[in-house]
Amino acid sequence: MKLRVERDVLAEAVTWAARALPTRPPVPVLAGLLLDASTDGVLRLSSFDYEVSARVEVAADILDGGTVLVSGKLLADICRSLPGKPVDVSTDGSRVSLTCGASRFTLLTMPVDEYPTLPAMPDGSGTVPGDLFSQAVSQVTVAASRDETLPILTGVRMEIEGENLTLLATDRYRLAMRTLTWRPSSPDVSTVALVRARTLSEVSKALGAGSDVTLALSTAGGGNELIGFEAGGRRTTSLLVDGEYPKVRALFPPESPTYAVVEAQSLVEAVRRVALVAERHTPVRLTFTDGVITLEAGQGEDAQASEAVEASLVGDELSMAFNPQFLLDGLGALTVPFARLSFTVPAKPAVISGQVEAEGDDDTSYRYLLMPVRLNS
Amino acid sequence: MTAGVSEPATVAEGVWTDVVGQVAAVRTLDRAVRAASVPGPGPGGMTHAWLITGPPGSGRSTAARSFAAALQCARQGCGECHECRTALTGAHPDVTLLATEHVFLRVEDVRPLVSVAQQRPSLGRWRVIVIEDADRLNDTSGNLLLKAVEEPPPRTVWVLCAPSPDDVLVTIRSRCRHVGLRIPPAADVSALLQRRHGVDPAIAAFAARAAGSHVGMARRLAVDENARIRRREVLRLPERLTSVGNAVLAAADLMKVATEEAKSATTERDAAERADLLRSLGAEGATSLPPAVRAQVRQLEENQKRRATRAQRDVLDRSLIDVLSLFRDVLVVQFGAEVELVNAELGEDVERLARASAPEDTVRRMDAIGRARRRIAANVAPLLAVEALMVELRFVRAR
Repeated sequence: MKLRVERDVLAEAVTWAARALPTRPPVPVLAGLLLDASTDGVLRLSSFDYEVSARVEVAADILDGGTVLVSGKLLADICRSLPGKPVDVSTDGSRVSLTCGASRFTLLTMPVDEYPTLPAMPDGSGTVPGDLFSQAVSQVTVAASRDETLPILTGVRMEIEGENLTLLATDRYRLAMRTLTWRPSSPDVSTVALVRARTLSEVSKALGAGSDVTLALSTAGGGNELIGFEAGGRRTTSLLVDGEYPKVRALFPPESPTYAVVEAQSLVEAVRRVALVAERHTPVRLTFTDGVITLEAGQGEDAQASEAVEASLVGDELSMAFNPQFLLDGLGALTVPFARLSFTVPAKPAVISGQVEAEGDDDTSYRYLLMPVRLNS
Repeated sequence: MTAGVSEPATVAEGVWTDVVGQVAAVRTLDRAVRAASVPGPGPGGMTHAWLITGPPGSGRSTAARSFAAALQCARQGCGECHECRTALTGAHPDVTLLATEHVFLRVEDVRPLVSVAQQRPSLGRWRVIVIEDADRLNDTSGNLLLKAVEEPPPRTVWVLCAPSPDDVLVTIRSRCRHVGLRIPPAADVSALLQRRHGVDPAIAAFAARAAGSHVGMARRLAVDENARIRRREVLRLPERLTSVGNAVLAAADLMKVATEEAKSATTERDAAERADLLRSLGAEGATSLPPAVRAQVRQLEENQKRRATRAQRDVLDRSLIDVLSLFRDVLVVQFGAEVELVNAELGEDVERLARASAPEDTVRRMDAIGRARRRIAANVAPLLAVEALMVELRFVRAR
């Protein structure tokens, strides 16, 4: 193998592919990064940890094709600190040498034939704009569980029904749901998949917001074993989480007679301030009256805080308490200036949704269901 | 001690070849594999959690790995395809092996398995999780697994191994289907040694008998002449126990033999593993280790060291069992029972010991050996335990 590639191109590609490298590889070869130079001027870099695979294609001047496997971490460290000049890569027996300007590195290679074949990209697919996708993913992953002993809840459920793509995540205390439209390759596609929230979040960030993201789900054999993401020459596949996801959609109340509309940013700031006196696991109390939401935290002999925020209320006055962090996560995920908080009765969960103007209808493409904390009076 | 229960050696096929003398268990597992290969629920008894139990040396983990391989194989365990080979060594992406050299399996060791269990198999057959030391699960780590073992996703299978069902938490046990392995017949073990290692039939028969059908031990005795010599040295010890002084010296000798034995058993494997790792890391033949590789090599060395400590204790225990087998023979001779001796080649020594003591002394000595083994297992300093034992085994000359 003998090739020349721009330093920035190589560094970016290596850093990206190296993200998927396992920290504790189940077999030693998986610590390697596979460099595959084909004669058509494309250099492919790939990494795999049996669960997630990553592959990136970059353009390079290839004199001699070939495939080598080198320690991924070392290569990433080297590429990051190379000077800004073209990089020459060539193999020399069982070694690879990297020359960039006046610096020269020689790396050991690992046996390529022991490296597993990367899973192929599934075929059933469609596209979604990158910025929309990463926004949707970040909106729902806030609600996903981080408790590894509940593996199902560490995942994000993706439901595809024709042009509608729905993302759902919950950790039993809150539930986030985002619907968006995408462009499936066949209009009557209908499938569900459960993907680890951490993987999904990394993937959506890594693929970049600029271009369209291709989503692919394997449909062969009834079960979906893999999900694939591809954008701008970068491709990631991940295994799916298995198991029965709880039926959570029904938790959203069909109608809410009472709701308050408030400017999202001012409520966020108020909650943040008031929460300063709330000790761990203690809630902030919100009292909704016409024209004002009163926030309070702390009780008895502890430090206390209160603040009033301007808001409009439709329906009966009521008082509820929430975990401040969970409340902030929901409000922070909104992308429009106003937040609508809808209620049924104080003991039942509240729903947060976005609203473009103070008057008008709310935007139901994103809804965040939040369990109240019971007040012991 | 099951010495020489003669039974026709059965040769199972494919991945089951190495599961020696376990006809019933292999039949059960094989049936489950065949049932699992057709989609949908059906007869044959495939289930989501298995508990494989059997005495040390009966091949619990071999059976578990073979089962895992057979589940991954397109031909239900041919033993030759890529799937079978990688599953047997633990390199298969959908087979996770967990074993420990520690006293307990800790929560940190077990927690990752819960999320692994929830993943779809990457090659579409089964996700198999093998815990080789399920008896080492403590309350916390065991409870963490309860939910995962009880209701795994449809394509996940748990295989737990333990010496006996009683060693496993009752809550875990009740969630598994139990497969019991027996002590394999000596004839089967001897046949395996002949087939796989080309050992001379007489030596193979001796090794299988002397090792009490412990497959790993029998292999060492059969292929390593030094191991045979060391075993004979151990069996000569009781002869020398005429005074307290001699007994203490004999204890020191026994410890020395055990240390040597443990070393020779592990050194070869350690070197092979290290060479293998270096080759995979691409650092083969390097005179000094590159920094990127060092961490992984150090990890391997630490594991090997822990294994060596455990090996020394296991070998000592094995030596005590050898001595126990000698006294068993002595008792057989004293009672004039017409059964085969484990140590037939030491007939004269056995006769002499039998004449020098009464059966009740022999029983007392056998009890003492049992006590010493318990003490060592409970972490008493091995040398002290062995010295106490040797003093108890001492032959007091009849006046």
